[in-house]
Amino acid sequence: MTRLRPASGVAVVEEGGVVYAASLPDGPIVVLDGGAAAIWVEALDGPRSTLADRVAAITDAAVGDIRADVESFVDELVRRGLLTEREPDRDRSAAARG
Amino acid sequence: MNGSQVSVPLSVRLRLGHAAVQHLADQIGVDLLHIKGAAVDPSLRPSTSFGSDVDVLVRPDHVARLDRTLRDHGWRLYSTFEFGSPFGHAQTYTHDAFGYVDIHRFFPGIRLAPGPAFDRLWSDRGVVDIAGVGCAVPSVPAQATLLILNAARSSRVHQWDLPAVWNDATDEHRAEIEALIAELDAPVAFAAATGGLERYRGERDYRLWKVISEGGSRSAEWRARVRAAPNLIAAAAVVARAPLVNVDHLAHRLGRRPTRLEIVAEFFVRPARAIGEAWRALRRRGASG
Repeated sequence: MTRLRPASGVAVVEEGGVVYAASLPDGPIVVLDGGAAAIWVEALDGPRSTLADRVAAITDAAVGDIRADVESFVDELVRRGLLTEREPDRDRSAAARG
Repeated sequence: MNGSQVSVPLSVRLRLGHAAVQHLADQIGVDLLHIKGAAVDPSLRPSTSFGSDVDVLVRPDHVARLDRTLRDHGWRLYSTFEFGSPFGHAQTYTHDAFGYVDIHRFFPGIRLAPGPAFDRLWSDRGVVDIAGVGCAVPSVPAQATLLILNAARSSRVHQWDLPAVWNDATDEHRAEIEALIAELDAPVAFAAATGGLERYRGERDYRLWKVISEGGSRSAEWRARVRAAPNLIAAAAVVARAPLVNVDHLAHRLGRRPTRLEIVAEFFVRPARAIGEAWRALRRRGASG
């Protein structure tokens, strides 16, 4: 099950409901507020497959109305190198083999 | 997604700045310790203020490498070791995204040589997470020690550090700080901050810390610096620097790099200013005598 986390070399500060993320070492600082900040926080808090459902739950939106936008936004964060995807099951099996 | 630079609060920018400098240091194998601001243990910080810049103490042998790397990554030199401060201990850089960072090659008040002093502080360092990046910091007693020494030369601005780090410290914490002061050979600056400076009247750096902590004229400060120099070579270097023009300050005052003519003009203004101070001091003595 795919999980999301900040990419290696990304610094993140959350303050006052706003997420500030910077690709190190050069930046820039990307500012995420409102729904964008909510998606970032939820993205780190569970599997990607249920992300739209969790965002819908905290925003009282219909999941069908927001799923495409949430997915598109997360794709953009990954494309910009701010978030990265990982497969916990694969990590665990690799650790078990090691 | 908003990439605007203007909407980032200073407290956030500073933490990201710590992370950016540590990231670069890790990439090039530079040892540095984050001091002051966001790196300070919460028990020593009376408020949530993170200051106005990022401060790091760098292993002296690694300073040149860090300097090159910072410049390669968008950090512009703002003031130099030579002119940035009267002690010549720190150099300031500025970055469009991350603001200001002060690179310290030694810490004023510590008389142990910069290399061994860094080794001592590095030996029991800790790591704190700043913006998701592990940043090396001195031990908590060492952080307190540096804040006290910093307060000695910040007669107004940083005196607020003293209640938390010294005045309200337990006997056990005070003993740890005093032991480190002895190891780092920093008794005079320590006394300038915490009291009892007059006990060190015979020390070569007594007058310097008296002027720094209590105020005095520019010429009195330079005389004290010459007297505080550990050897003749260092004293000669202080003398050589004294009449030079602070090109960094002049440039910031003018808003551009000064012309050769402006530097020459400033060269003559500074001694005139010192003579003016000496004249006023003479008149004061004459009036009171």
